[in-house]
Amino acid sequence: MATTTAPTPPPEAPAATKSPTAPKKPKLSKRRRREALSFYLFVSPWVIGFLVFLLGPMIASIYYSLTDWDSFTPPQWVGFQNYVTLLTDDPVFWKALWNTLFYAAVSVPLGLVLGLWLANLLNKQVRARKLLRTLIYLPTLIPLVATAMIFRMVLAPSGPLNDFLGLFGVSGPNWLYDGPWVKPALILMSTWGAGAATVLLLAAMKGIPRELYEAAEVDGASAMRQFWSITLPHLTPIIFFNLIMGLIGAFQVFSQVYILVSKGKNPAGYDAAQTMVPFLFDQAFSYYHMGYASAISWLLFLVILVFTVIAFRTTRRWVFYETEVK
Amino acid sequence: MATLATPLSKKRQEAPAVRAFRATPFTYGTLLIVAAILTTPLVFVGSIALSSDATVNAGSYTVIPREFHWDNFSRVFGTELPVGTFLLNSVLISLFSVVGQVLSSGLVGYAFARLRAPGKNTMFLVVIATMMIPTQITMIPQFILFRDLGWVNTFLPLIVPNFFSNAFNVFLVRQFVSRLPSQLDEAAMMDGLGFFGIYRRIMFPMLRPVLIAIGIFTLTHTWGDFMGPLIYLNDESKMPLALGVQYITATSQAGQAPPWNLVMVGSILLAVPMIIVYYLGQKYLYEMDISGGSAGVK
Repeated sequence: MATTTAPTPPPEAPAATKSPTAPKKPKLSKRRRREALSFYLFVSPWVIGFLVFLLGPMIASIYYSLTDWDSFTPPQWVGFQNYVTLLTDDPVFWKALWNTLFYAAVSVPLGLVLGLWLANLLNKQVRARKLLRTLIYLPTLIPLVATAMIFRMVLAPSGPLNDFLGLFGVSGPNWLYDGPWVKPALILMSTWGAGAATVLLLAAMKGIPRELYEAAEVDGASAMRQFWSITLPHLTPIIFFNLIMGLIGAFQVFSQVYILVSKGKNPAGYDAAQTMVPFLFDQAFSYYHMGYASAISWLLFLVILVFTVIAFRTTRRWVFYETEVK
Repeated sequence: MATLATPLSKKRQEAPAVRAFRATPFTYGTLLIVAAILTTPLVFVGSIALSSDATVNAGSYTVIPREFHWDNFSRVFGTELPVGTFLLNSVLISLFSVVGQVLSSGLVGYAFARLRAPGKNTMFLVVIATMMIPTQITMIPQFILFRDLGWVNTFLPLIVPNFFSNAFNVFLVRQFVSRLPSQLDEAAMMDGLGFFGIYRRIMFPMLRPVLIAIGIFTLTHTWGDFMGPLIYLNDESKMPLALGVQYITATSQAGQAPPWNLVMVGSILLAVPMIIVYYLGQKYLYEMDISGGSAGVK
């Protein structure tokens, strides 16, 4: 049975594939052409989207950035004037850039350190791990606008945070209206989302071979030592990659700043915590300085690009690393 | 050897042999405190949402709810605030965006994974490269484009771009299809199915996990999107919930506090669907992660 049925298909299969390849070459290329045509047809949504919503706008944006334009009257060519003004004559730009850098440089590492710490705790043999993980992850599922609304209440002068601080005899500041406290308030809000890094790092920790820990245990390494010598080195590529991606995300922070320190209702907070994208948004859609705003967007892009290049470099290292381990 | 191994493995069963994984009271204490701190804002929101107008105006709500005005949840759908309209708008915008993204990204991703054509690899490199472009670059020219088309104050600027796929989703589908055995579509081709037929009859059903994941990504993104609606929608009747909630607090009459209890009900209505969607779709998202589809973010 097996010997009679098994050999029969192979002679057929090569015959079927060989006949179009060898003698009828034009037929194959026709099929290839049909395949290529289908390909172009199928990817056309992406091609159109790319041209209309990305490449076209990018070119337009370069042009706008070299003009003075309110989007209603014809644009005035000004060359690099917008960039020169931004870099040499606009304190608000530098302030926004500084605020953004500060926010990114504090909130992202803080979130990762917290995430790492929590993931390490959850990686132990704890009861109700699933419940604890869910509670820690839950805040990251809340849409940003809702989170901002929640923190408007949490950070209110007589809100729960200041009540909590009051327990220790500390009278909390008016977080969102008191200049120096606005940025810490925004950072505090971002740490509410530390669960995202926790879950990510926890999943990565599960992938670390257990034998390594057992070997360390035999050698008498303490829990702390095992963390620093086994867990952390295995996670560094992932931590670094997420640090870069987090920084890119933090540079584009908008909604929480726009909602929590709105210009009209909270000028003091706005002054203290203005970041790049709200600044860009304001220039474009409040003042209709389309040229100036476009120039801001390119400077923002430049900053992000530096980090993206680093991220892509490290991905390669990360991929290499993973295959090494396996 | 065997005699040595048995007591060791028995010991491991009794207590975690490795110190790194041993949970101490300190572990539990820390985790419980952190979980409590992270959960407090959520309880607080619930408490405000259940407060009466008088309590809210006096600002005398507490973290642990003391009163339970469940009617606040029905009030938002009444005439006081257009939360019902906001919700409907959110549903409409998100639904069309998901449909567009799933249809387009699936097809494009399949083509990049399976079909051969000159220039394909270069095109795919461009797809990858576009992931690096921040949206702020295209924000202004896109606004000009949509304004000139007369699409301002409609849902179209928020929906239509989704019908043209998105680099990240295309990448996800391509990775997913690459891992599927190619015998199936070869067999289908033998049966005389065209490429679109193969996609629709064979591939599309098999892409279910990745398309569901894309649907969830698109849904959460569109549902929570604030900047897009802020740029394009001026009419209160057109706003989705994410913008509407903020709009209520921004436009309350001067000297009068926003109706925080109702705003918090709105925020809960904004958040709860996302939590439900995440837990229903969790296994698909997880599958994407495990199979390495998440572009190295893993």
